[in-house]
Amino acid sequence: MYKTSWGSTLMTIILSLALGAGAILLLGYDPIEAYYQLFRGAFVGKFNIGGVMERFVPLMLTALAFAVSAKVAVFNVGVEGELYLGAIAAAWAGYAFTGLHPLVHIPLCFAVAMVASGAWGAIPGVLKAYWKVNEVCVTILMNYVAIYFTSYLVGNPFSARASIPRTPTIEESARLLRILRPSRANIGIFVALGVLVLVWWMLYHTNWGYKLRHVGQNPSFSEYVGIPPKKAMIWGMILSGAIGGLAGAIEVMGIHGHFLDNFSPGIAFDGMLASLIAKNDIRMVPVLSLFLAVLKTGALGMERFTGVPKTLIDTIIAVFILLAAMEGLFAYSRRRSARSSGEEAA
Amino acid sequence: MDGLNEILSLVFNATLVRSTIRAATPILYATLACVLTQQANILNIGIEGIMIFAAFAAVTTSYFAGSWVLGLLAAIITGVVVAAFMAFAHLKAKADIFVVGMGVNMLAIAMTRFLLQRTFGVSGSFHHNDIVPMPRLNFDFGGNALLDTLFNDYSLFEPVGIVLVFVLAFILYKTVWGLRLRSVGLNPLAAETAGINVTFRKFEVMLYSGVLGGIAGAHLSLGYSRMFVENMTNGRGFMGVAAMFFGGANPFWGWIGCLIFGFADSLGSRLQSLGLPSQFILMIPYVVTVVVLTLAMMRKKRAETARKSAI
Repeated sequence: MYKTSWGSTLMTIILSLALGAGAILLLGYDPIEAYYQLFRGAFVGKFNIGGVMERFVPLMLTALAFAVSAKVAVFNVGVEGELYLGAIAAAWAGYAFTGLHPLVHIPLCFAVAMVASGAWGAIPGVLKAYWKVNEVCVTILMNYVAIYFTSYLVGNPFSARASIPRTPTIEESARLLRILRPSRANIGIFVALGVLVLVWWMLYHTNWGYKLRHVGQNPSFSEYVGIPPKKAMIWGMILSGAIGGLAGAIEVMGIHGHFLDNFSPGIAFDGMLASLIAKNDIRMVPVLSLFLAVLKTGALGMERFTGVPKTLIDTIIAVFILLAAMEGLFAYSRRRSARSSGEEAA
Repeated sequence: MDGLNEILSLVFNATLVRSTIRAATPILYATLACVLTQQANILNIGIEGIMIFAAFAAVTTSYFAGSWVLGLLAAIITGVVVAAFMAFAHLKAKADIFVVGMGVNMLAIAMTRFLLQRTFGVSGSFHHNDIVPMPRLNFDFGGNALLDTLFNDYSLFEPVGIVLVFVLAFILYKTVWGLRLRSVGLNPLAAETAGINVTFRKFEVMLYSGVLGGIAGAHLSLGYSRMFVENMTNGRGFMGVAAMFFGGANPFWGWIGCLIFGFADSLGSRLQSLGLPSQFILMIPYVVTVVVLTLAMMRKKRAETARKSAI
C-alpha cells in the first residue's frame, strides 16, 4: 500500500491540467487565457470566493464522512442518502419549531439531521459487523431508498404545496448567517472546518479513536486484545452518517432555505472521490475538496469569458481522478528505474 | 368497490408484462456484464459509464451512417475500449477497481455532455429522425389481441437478452471455461497453481463485459428509446450491480432480480399516473435486495457456526 505523498498528488494535478490544456488547444482556444479565467472565476471577487466556499463545504463534509467510515474498514457509498435524510430532517426541524432563539434552533436542526442520518448509517454498519453483508452494495441500494423516501415526504406530509416539490421555508432563526454576499456562502464553513478538526482530534488523539482505527486495520487482532470490533465498526458508521447528514443540513439551512426534491446532483459522490484520491487521509481531504471546488466554480467563469465549455472541466476532473487512482502507473516506472539503477550499481 | 376494481384492472393487465420486460432489459445487460466480472471477483461498478459511452456512440453512428448495425458495432467497440482501459488501470496500474469505476462513470457523463455540444450543438438531449432505431419483432397471431400484446412489437434485443441469460448460465456452469473462470473468482491462488493465468482471465472477462455493456448502451439509445439524453442510464448500471448481488452472481437469479426491478418500475409509473404516491413501490426492489442479501449472509453464518460446532 502506498501512502499519499504531496509530490505524487501535485504531479497528478499538473499532469491532468496539462492534458486539459492540450484539449483546450485542440478545440482552438488559448489554454493560458482559459486557465487564467478559471482561476479568476474562482478567486477574484466576493461572489467567486463565496462560490468556492459554497461548493467546498458539502464536498469536504461528504469526503470526511467517507474517510471516517474507511477508517473502520467500511466503504460507505451511502453518504448521498445520508445527505438527503439530513437535509430533510433539518428542513423539518427548521420550519416545524417556531419562536426559538437562533442559538437553540440551529443546534437543534443540526442535531435532528445528525441523529436521522446517523441512525440510517448505522444500518449498513450493523449488517456488515454482524453478518458481513457487503456494505458497498447495501449502501448503494439504500441511497435509492433514502432519496425515494425524502421524495415521498416532500411530496406529501412535508409539502409546501408549491408548484415545485419542496418543504416550507425554514424559520429565520434556523438560517445560517450569510457571509460574502451576494454569494450564498455562509457560516456553515466554520462549522464544517470545526467538525473536520474535531473528527481528526477524536480519531488520532483519543482512546476511542485509537480503538476505531485499530479495528479498521485488523478486526481479528482487535477482538483478541479486547476491543470489540463490531461496536467500533457500527460507531464509525454512525459518525460517518452523522457527518453526511450535517452536510445536508448546512445545504438546507445555509443555501436553499428549504428542502427541494432531488436537490443534490451527486455531491456525495464527488466527495467520495475526493476522499478516495486522498487515500482517506483526513489531513488531505480538505485540500482535495478545495481543489475540486475551485475547478468547478472557476469553470463557470471560464465558460463565460472564453467560451471553453465547462463540461471540459468536468472531464478534466474525471481524468484527474483516474490518474490519481492509478498509483501503479508512476510507481511502476519508478520501480523499473530503481531496478535499472540497482543493476548499474551492481 | 367498483372504483377499486377499476383501478386494479387499469394497473394489472397484460401490458404490465410488456412494460416489465421493457424496463428490465437495459438493466439485464448491465447485470450480465457484472455477473461475468463478479465471477472473476471484479466488482464492475463502471458499467454505468460504459453504457453511457456506448449509448452515445450508438446514436452518433446510427445518425451519421444511417444504420443501426453499425451503431451497435460502434457501441460494442466503445464498450470494449472503455472496459479495456478499466482492466488496464485495475490490473496493471493497480488502481482500486471501485475508484476506476466511479471515475469512468464521471468521465462518461462529462465527456458525452461535452461531445453532445460539440457534435450536435445541443445540450440535454439529442433526437432526430435520421437516427435509425433497432428493428422490432412482429409476428402474425391472426389478430388475437392478447397474444399481440404479449408477444409482438419487442425490440430486437429484448428477446435476445432472455436467450443470453441461459447461454451465459450454460457457459458459466457447464463448460470448462466457466469452471476456470469461477475458480479465478473463488480462489485465485488455487487457480494460479492449477495453471490458469489469473490476470489474463480477469482481463478477458472485462473485455466481454465491455461487449455486454456496449449492447446495453446501444439498446438503451436505439431500442429502448431513439435518442441520446445526458446521463441517460440514470442509475440503471447501479441497478444492474444490485440485481447481480441479488442473484449472487448467478445469471438466472440476476435476471429474476431485473424483472423485479422492471416490475416495480412499471407498477410505480402506473400508480403515479393515477395520482398515488409511487415512491414506496419504487423502493421495493432495493429493500428486497438488501433483505435478500442479509438473509443469505445470515444463513451462511448459521451454516458456518453449525459446521464449526460439528467439529
